[in-house]
Amino acid sequence: MKSTKTLLALSLLLLGVAVAGPANNSLVVGTSQEPPNIYDPWQTNNLAITSEINGYMGASLVSKDNAGDLYADIATTVPTLANGGYKLTKNAAGDVTSNSVTYSIRKDAKWSDGSAITPKDFQFWLKVEQDDRVPVPSRDPWDKAKITVNDADTFTITYNPPYLFADQVSPGLAPSASMASAWNSFDSATAKLDSKTSGKAINDAWVKFISAFTTANNLPKVVAGPFRPTQWRSGNSLTMTRNPNYWRTPKGGADKYVQTVQYRFIPNTNTLKVNVLSGQIDALSAVGPTFDQGLDLQRSERGKYKTYFVPSATWEHIDINGFSNVQKVKDLDLDDKRVRQALLYSIDRAALTKALFQGKQPVSNTFVNPIAKLYKKDAKAYDFDPAKAKALFADAGWKPGADGILAKNGKKFSLNFTTTAGNATRERVQQILQAQWKAVGVDVNIQNYPSSVVFAQDFIGGGSNGKWDMLMYAWTADPSLEKGNLFSSTQIPTAANGFAGQDEPGWKNAEYDKLWTQAGTEFDLAARVKLFDRMQTIWADEVPSLPLYFRVNVYTKVPNLLNYTFSAYSLYPSWDAYEIGWSSKGAAEVNTQK
Amino acid sequence: MATYTLRRILQMIPLLLVISLIIYALTALQPGDPVDQLTLGNSQITPADIARLRAAYGLDQPIFLRYFYWLVQALHGDFGWSRSFSQPAFQYVFQNRLPNTLLLTVPALILALLVAVPLGIYSAVRQYSLPDYVLTFLSFLAFSTPVFWLGPMVLWLFAIYLPGITNGVISLPPGGLGSPDLDPTTASTWAIIADKIKYLILPLCVLAFREIAVILRFMRANMLEVLSQDYVRTARAKGLPGGVVVYKHALRNAIIPIITLLGLAIPGLFGGAVITETVFSWPGMGRVILEGLVNKDFNVVLAALTFIALLTLIFSLLADLAYAAVDPRIRYD
Repeated sequence: MKSTKTLLALSLLLLGVAVAGPANNSLVVGTSQEPPNIYDPWQTNNLAITSEINGYMGASLVSKDNAGDLYADIATTVPTLANGGYKLTKNAAGDVTSNSVTYSIRKDAKWSDGSAITPKDFQFWLKVEQDDRVPVPSRDPWDKAKITVNDADTFTITYNPPYLFADQVSPGLAPSASMASAWNSFDSATAKLDSKTSGKAINDAWVKFISAFTTANNLPKVVAGPFRPTQWRSGNSLTMTRNPNYWRTPKGGADKYVQTVQYRFIPNTNTLKVNVLSGQIDALSAVGPTFDQGLDLQRSERGKYKTYFVPSATWEHIDINGFSNVQKVKDLDLDDKRVRQALLYSIDRAALTKALFQGKQPVSNTFVNPIAKLYKKDAKAYDFDPAKAKALFADAGWKPGADGILAKNGKKFSLNFTTTAGNATRERVQQILQAQWKAVGVDVNIQNYPSSVVFAQDFIGGGSNGKWDMLMYAWTADPSLEKGNLFSSTQIPTAANGFAGQDEPGWKNAEYDKLWTQAGTEFDLAARVKLFDRMQTIWADEVPSLPLYFRVNVYTKVPNLLNYTFSAYSLYPSWDAYEIGWSSKGAAEVNTQK
Repeated sequence: MATYTLRRILQMIPLLLVISLIIYALTALQPGDPVDQLTLGNSQITPADIARLRAAYGLDQPIFLRYFYWLVQALHGDFGWSRSFSQPAFQYVFQNRLPNTLLLTVPALILALLVAVPLGIYSAVRQYSLPDYVLTFLSFLAFSTPVFWLGPMVLWLFAIYLPGITNGVISLPPGGLGSPDLDPTTASTWAIIADKIKYLILPLCVLAFREIAVILRFMRANMLEVLSQDYVRTARAKGLPGGVVVYKHALRNAIIPIITLLGLAIPGLFGGAVITETVFSWPGMGRVILEGLVNKDFNVVLAALTFIALLTLIFSLLADLAYAAVDPRIRYD
């Protein structure tokens, strides 16, 4: 009998029968990336896949839903000015000098080992986050935060100087009890080391500490979210199972919803596509196929799965080198706004997005995401107008030569156009734009490099050294935390600051800078909207970068799968992990993909 | 022979040092570093943050100093930390990835030999016959078929088209190392082996495909050369049966150059498996090099490439020694 069963199991395996899906109330997700570690409370790597997977195992005081509205998770309520949870402290002149948010922890909020989540866990997290020895990429805004415990379940986090988005973000938490001993070992081992001269030795000690809790060999021992990790086969898959100690219960009971989630790591996106088509995976992660592959998948759906194109917070654009110290910039008048405007009028972005992206990636007119509250709807649009482009070029002294190419003072209007080599979508965009610019007399020479070259700080930040003339790439920013940093002159990369800073075109505008400084301390949303309105007007008039479109994220899911959704606010389908389920298993639909 | 072997082993030490320096320089001098990845898209990051992170990762030191520290550590068996995989680079490459590559490459090589050697002999013995033309055509086809194309085509065929036609009877998994549903702690050994075989079949065949063509062409050429030699003609003239002439007299000499080919094929397979492993999501050494380069995880790349360099030196020595063992005309003393 046993041998018959073994034979049957063997046959089923050899025949490749897929067992994923509603049959055993599990979910199989395919992704092209594997995280280096998971549930690192201090997020010392900034990979999207890490954030997505952490979503299943993590919990937060408050979080954002698909609409960008805050909801309470560990906290009892969302602190606001109206309910007194969020407070602004002002001086006599009415300027905000500090701000604070008070959180009450739910009585039933527990770690996966059953112990209560307390203010100590937030204090421990903040202490480590602020520690000079810990390699967090950026400590903003936590470097100016302080936690005061009010009682066993309530604490206040105060920002001094004030933090503009204090009510929009909440501090992290770490299981202080289970990490205490390892942290103390790290602390004593590195206490006498100078973080400036012994950086590597300190980092090695840090790695030893954090690796004991976050890796494939040392799975997180205690987590707070709806799922806990149970198996990680490095290079292959990661399995998480439902955490019985998680406090929020989906409609009808947790047993009606997905019980295990498996991530399959498939680095080649074509192979990932084959996995979707062959029904091996139930859904794709937000970190997966390219846009073109998404279109292919959509064409082959046949009712087996559905493809979604979710507007993201990623802005595709072309920076124009505006550093006047660069001879070529001077020669081509790239530091003259008329020339930049003419370059924008010369290209038909609406036709481009329609042809390449079926209109799914809408044209952008400013650097602010259209879903953000700060977005200026009526910003100057620069609709395709070659006649206007030619007039602006002529205004700046550029006249067509015998070969049709614009010329001035014996110099031809010929510039290099760079992007990440091998990115098929960008390379196609380049070719279309090159042809459109040629039609108005602009000679564009495509000069691409691998992304490792383009995104090396000394290249992307090397505008002042004339490393590039026009550079096409993308930025991602949370639309609810928009600060306008990308174009503040304080962010211009130069040799003096080690080419750090994100104002890659080197654009400097005194009025924009003034408004940006004001907006950085303007706590009234309506007033900030006004400031950003003017900032976008200036920016759209000056066009330091040519805005192209906001990208979409592609993913698929089988029709029966519910509440596997996300937006540019919630970012990953794991944001609502506790409610992901199969309709055939009795799960109720609470979120639909928009 | 012993003196020769010892001399070759001693020569390997400076050679390996030079190779490691070149590998280190090539990886360290490429544009970008791990800090660039952390800073990209993070508009909050400040120049002070960047300087702090570079110091923490030891990237603020001059390249020769970094190489020196790395070399000293490597000589103690410590190849540094892998940032992408959050474990020691040596441990990750050799414990996690090397067994997978061996599982893929060794059977691929054995399969290639089992198929290519008899076909090469057959092709040579029946030179200019129809089967010879067919095998020549197929081997050139295999030569010119890039793995990055063949891999996805095989995936599509076995994962999508065939199951569609056969109602799922013939289907093989589209990539991966094994069924994530299979719990190795509870599943039977047979179930684990069967599962592994299921995932191994497609990448193994794709990897062996080109090797078959290489060995087949090599075997055919060697065999033709040997068959035209005087001693073979003499053997035939003496009236020995064709099979004895070919398999007893000619084959022994024709197969000697294959030893050199194999000596270099084994380390070559480790590097050559990059695309196969990537297409089939097979977590092996080839993929680790690619992922390491993409993620700027240089410690992993250095550990893997140094190992391949060492393997190349060792197998080229073994090939030379094997040459002497099988060919009485070669003496190293």
